Amino acid sequence: MKPELITVRKPNTSLNFTKEGLYVVFFENISGAISCTLSHEKAKVYMFGLYDINGTSSYSLKTEQLHKAAGAFSQLAITCVARDSASLAFSGLIRIEKGAQQSHAYQKNQNLILSPNAFVDTRPMLEIEANEVFCTHGSTTGTINREHVLYLMTRGVSQIEAEKAYVDGFIQQLYNQMKQLGIEL
Amino acid sequence: MKQKKIDFDYKYGFAVKNKNVYVAEKGLDEYKIREISSLKNEPKWMLEKRLKAYSYFLQKPMPTWGADLSKIDFDQITYFIRSTEKQVQNWEDLPVEIRETYDRIGVPEAEKKFLAGVSAQYESEVVYERVQETLEKQGVIFCDMDTAVKKYPHIVREYFGTLIPASDNKFAALNTSVWSGGSFVYVPKGVKTTLPLQAYFRMNAQAFGQFERTLIIADEDSYVHYIEGCTAPIYTTDSLHAAVVEIFVKQGARVRYTTVQNWSKNVYNLVTKRAKAEKNAVMEWVDCNLGSQITMKYPAVYLTGEGARGEVLSIALAGNGQVQDAGAKMIHFAPKTTSRVVSKSISKEGGRTSYRGLVQVMPGAVDSSVYVSCDALLLDENSRSDTYPTMRIKNNQTNIQHEATVEKIGEEKLLYLMSRGLSKADAETAFVNGFIEPIVKEIPLEYSIELNRLIRLEMEGSVG
Repeated sequence: MKPELITVRKPNTSLNFTKEGLYVVFFENISGAISCTLSHEKAKVYMFGLYDINGTSSYSLKTEQLHKAAGAFSQLAITCVARDSASLAFSGLIRIEKGAQQSHAYQKNQNLILSPNAFVDTRPMLEIEANEVFCTHGSTTGTINREHVLYLMTRGVSQIEAEKAYVDGFIQQLYNQMKQLGIEL
Repeated sequence: MKQKKIDFDYKYGFAVKNKNVYVAEKGLDEYKIREISSLKNEPKWMLEKRLKAYSYFLQKPMPTWGADLSKIDFDQITYFIRSTEKQVQNWEDLPVEIRETYDRIGVPEAEKKFLAGVSAQYESEVVYERVQETLEKQGVIFCDMDTAVKKYPHIVREYFGTLIPASDNKFAALNTSVWSGGSFVYVPKGVKTTLPLQAYFRMNAQAFGQFERTLIIADEDSYVHYIEGCTAPIYTTDSLHAAVVEIFVKQGARVRYTTVQNWSKNVYNLVTKRAKAEKNAVMEWVDCNLGSQITMKYPAVYLTGEGARGEVLSIALAGNGQVQDAGAKMIHFAPKTTSRVVSKSISKEGGRTSYRGLVQVMPGAVDSSVYVSCDALLLDENSRSDTYPTMRIKNNQTNIQHEATVEKIGEEKLLYLMSRGLSKADAETAFVNGFIEPIVKEIPLEYSIELNRLIRLEMEGSVG
């Protein structure tokens, strides 16, 4: 199935998926609320959010995966690299309404914090009112793996380059996932 | 053994007629607080704490999140009951009526087996208490809070209300102003208690709120395991239980606090529990919430010393009409602190379970690590499960992991067990018990047996 790409540029966007299809929602460094409602049982929605933030910028993101139809699929991946004194407050809700059985809803949030002053506040939330569902959410927050950088340095890569490679690889993961779905940005 | 299907909600569904010596009038005002304090012959500083707390209670708003608490009518609650005039040392000296109630929930049985000391709380005051000689020899103090205020005022005054100030929240303020009963534990330096300390809590008067206050101090390099188990008979009006538990874990010490909460299904269980873990200390909360109508409880650990560790292992089971809003709070203040939260919740017959948690890593808490895992099991389509974890990470030298899953009992697995000759109820019970097993194995044996049996009863009720 050919995916349809929806790039969200406006904050406070509500998307309602009423037709069968594979949808990829992408957004980058954006504050506000993004809501996806799955009203068709064969709707398959992938949401990707990339935050590469620095300086004193401060972002606040609120997402919603609202399952109204039975059997629909949604997946959210938020990747954040925070430098300097940048901050991200992320709150993501998966809500499965009564009757939306056999729903699949997943959420993943990965944060890489590169400065002692950067700050990430994560609130993944689940509200489940149907019992035959598949829902998970996961969140990790960490810094550069010193061992990985050290390994590259023993191979003659400078520390700065090694760290850059690490961060680039972290971000690249998100693009790779989109590529697998047939989306190239 | 095949157990009969039960058609009542609560296993210990009986109530023994009350013979109370002193019952305060319903409702609360400053005069009543003075009365409670003078009846207990308390020192002036405690009365002052109570009055101050009462002013906070009046100021503080009700929580606007979580379960619906609008049905609590503070004017319809009795704030103090004294059931016997004096405290007794021997089981035989207890009034027959009270003994009868305890016999039915098996206190003497349990005591015979392995209890170190039973501090049995009947209504709002501890009426029966025995500290075994071994404990006394080790210098461990284990008594009720009222005694502690009189006998060890210097210790109580130093710690009381310092970790959970009266201004913390409305129910902590209420507890501080009207508290009665609860346990006081002091474990001296280097002492490791080998047997768990246990206290049985009971409420036995209609519309009577119980406000026990527990304070545990584990001095350097000591170890203590405290077990709190609750059972309560059925009443018709709503009861309020608002306890406060403060635990101080000093350098290198370890405290485990186990709760098996099985209040009858009309009790509002609104509890504030907090522990402070100093350098290399370990604090573990093992929390099982099975009963009550509404439970809101978030055991917290403040990790203030380098290398401190906090754990919360919790089980919540919500049946028809029940709301289990439980969770954990881990606040990392110091470097190299670690925390782990494992929560398992089960909802059935329209019950609602919520995990509500907070993990906060302060800027100074470098090289800390956090692990949070919440699993929910939904047994039917009328039930509901929510997960509200919050993570505030103000430090980049940390490693945070959080995961949550929601599932139902796998049909295939059930079918497999049933093809092996298990009834559907038995198969579901096996599944649920397997689901909570990682936590149950942390609980002392007779509690885990009781827990497994309770779940079995619940499951049969839901299917049969």
